[in-house]
Amino acid sequence: MVKEAIDCIDAGTEYCPCKLAEYGQCLICSQCQGQVFCDCLNWKGVCIYQELHNNGYKAKEGRKTFDCNVEEVINYNNNLIIIKFKAPHKLVLDLVKPGSYIFIRTDDNHYFDIPISIMNSDIENDIISIAVEIRGIKTAKLLDTKANENIVIRGPYWNGVFGIKNILAQNNSKALILARGIGLAPMMPVIRKLLSQNNELNAVLDKDPFNINFATELLDKYKIKTSENSLLYKGQLSDHAKVIIKDALEDGVTFIHIAGADILTYYVINYLNEINRNDVALSCCNNFKMCCGEGICGACTSRFSGHRVKRFCKEQADPRNIFEGRRFI
Amino acid sequence: MKVIIIGGGWSGCAAAISSKKAGADVTVIEKTDLLLGLGNVGGIMRNNGRFTASEELIALGCGDLIEITDRISTHRNIDFPGHKHATLYNVNMIEGEVSKYLKSLGINLLMESRVNDINFDGQKIKGVYLSDGTYIDGDVFIETTGTTGPMGNCLRYGNGCSMCVLRCPSFGPRISISERCGVSDIQGERGDDILGAFSGSCKLAKESLSDEIRNELNSKGVVILKIPQEDINYDKLSTKVCQQYALKEFAENIILLDTGHAKLMTTYYPLYKLRKIKGLENAKYVDPYAGSKGNSIRYLSVAPRTNDLKVTGVDNLFCAGEKSGLFVGHTEAICTGTLAGHNAVKLAMGMPLLILPSSIAIGDIITFANESSLTREGRKARYTFAGSVYFDRMQALSLYTTDIDEIKKRIQKVNLDNIFNQKIC
Repeated sequence: MVKEAIDCIDAGTEYCPCKLAEYGQCLICSQCQGQVFCDCLNWKGVCIYQELHNNGYKAKEGRKTFDCNVEEVINYNNNLIIIKFKAPHKLVLDLVKPGSYIFIRTDDNHYFDIPISIMNSDIENDIISIAVEIRGIKTAKLLDTKANENIVIRGPYWNGVFGIKNILAQNNSKALILARGIGLAPMMPVIRKLLSQNNELNAVLDKDPFNINFATELLDKYKIKTSENSLLYKGQLSDHAKVIIKDALEDGVTFIHIAGADILTYYVINYLNEINRNDVALSCCNNFKMCCGEGICGACTSRFSGHRVKRFCKEQADPRNIFEGRRFI
Repeated sequence: MKVIIIGGGWSGCAAAISSKKAGADVTVIEKTDLLLGLGNVGGIMRNNGRFTASEELIALGCGDLIEITDRISTHRNIDFPGHKHATLYNVNMIEGEVSKYLKSLGINLLMESRVNDINFDGQKIKGVYLSDGTYIDGDVFIETTGTTGPMGNCLRYGNGCSMCVLRCPSFGPRISISERCGVSDIQGERGDDILGAFSGSCKLAKESLSDEIRNELNSKGVVILKIPQEDINYDKLSTKVCQQYALKEFAENIILLDTGHAKLMTTYYPLYKLRKIKGLENAKYVDPYAGSKGNSIRYLSVAPRTNDLKVTGVDNLFCAGEKSGLFVGHTEAICTGTLAGHNAVKLAMGMPLLILPSSIAIGDIITFANESSLTREGRKARYTFAGSVYFDRMQALSLYTTDIDEIKKRIQKVNLDNIFNQKIC
């Protein structure tokens, strides 16, 4: 009978209430779900219904697009591109938190908007860095990006990492970070947050499919223990990875951040299950496909037992809950 | 035997005392930093039939809270329109006294702790979750979360959050425990097909009144001021919780009572109109802070229950205070709370639950409010010893008396003297 308390990343922010509340489908507020009484299971510090009322029962304006000047472009063999661009200070501040991401607009046609995680948000110089793996039609367009020209971005968005609650709960403890491939980029704000909470970090990096570690420059600044190792072997969690996890847990680690594909997260969860360590708190990348980021288009939805549809561009979740009870329909 | 009480208002505190006296290990979970909830802004005791009920409680062996409100009263035996022999306690002193008393009994108080979900197996509640993720288990649960707020309800059925003493925007929303168990709440109604009702009074800072009014208030306890003819609004009386104060005199006059603050007996009143009245030129609200605009909305979440105060449909949940009926007032909350706490322990011990007989006022109001809530008209009424339909009934049935010996005799006659003082586990 326990109703799952749903957590919305945008609740209580300047973008709340959103279109979902306007159309009676707020993730959190019973009054904005067509009901007539409060049943406020996951209060986020504001009354969403009151905000909606005060806004004339309309959604808040929503995210804006910004023209930003590109400062630097680093192209790694047309496989990977790092773009650094100048952005308004407010936006840079908004993009500091773990899980922050933006959409890059490369075309008048909005289908081409690309959701990209923030690798670094430098609040002193107002420079945002992103790393993009060139994969398909949308990302290929970014190869044309040149320094001193503009790129158009839409943001800020925040749900790029699951288990944010767990990240925020880590204070003065030990954490393990397992990162692979392009996952190194969204790993950086997580590291920054964990260090600011005085945690001791050990990052194990698997640079595959790239042959360089593109995060070196930033990692060097943080002075944390890093090592390079293969985390996946033939589509399974590698023995190396298992040893690393086991050793880390013996060393007193109680939290793991997994910055890679879902397959990596999934196998780490299974392995922890096997060794009876479900007490270990987790966070991971949100790898759902984003298109509008506003809970409307449905690209990021997934179905779960009990006819529940989750909109993962907005809904926060614990990494263990994104696989449990998931339906293939 | 662990009794968990959710909500630390008057009824929660009363339930804590009676279940502790019965021998339980008692925890009170309160979302704000103060016990007593609306008791921090109320203050009227012993007016009309509440005198009888207070003395009945003392004779039943659980007059502890009545003793405290008597002790810190600022005025005793005062009359104001429609009301006789009222005692006014000092709302600025009461909470500290009650908190100290509960702690002295060994009651565990979890302050600033908000329940936001329950662990329910379909029949029994196993435990409750706090908003910080803490899980608290227990054998029997008593819901005294009240029926007021949160912000969304005050907006839909009132004029929005008026910043009352419950301070939902700071401490978070109340949730209905019984509704979480799948038991649908009952709502009080008001005349025009609208649910809920406005809280019936505001407080003005005494310092903001003229010397003349303040002195009269301090010496007599009550001040009556004429409202300018153009501002009299009789319609507002029907929106009010406290039907015992919904009298013509309360529409035509500003009635101030000295409860530490100057208690203004109206739901809400625009400040600019208030300041037209001589002596109130500098008046300022201290509760609710937005008393110009509105007041808290109540009666949106009453649980269906039997006369032993057990919630229908859940094996180990009791309710008291407003949660247990369309009751108004501290005395009513203390009476229902006391019975719920006592019965919670009896249930856990497998003993038959106590139903108070209709030959005493407390037993009669609990039964009468329950029967009345079944009809639409009944849901428009409010039940209090102090006035309205129930005080009429008390007088008609001769339940109302101020003869303390007579009250003692009535309790002895049904063999219930000191019942709440007996340890049962």
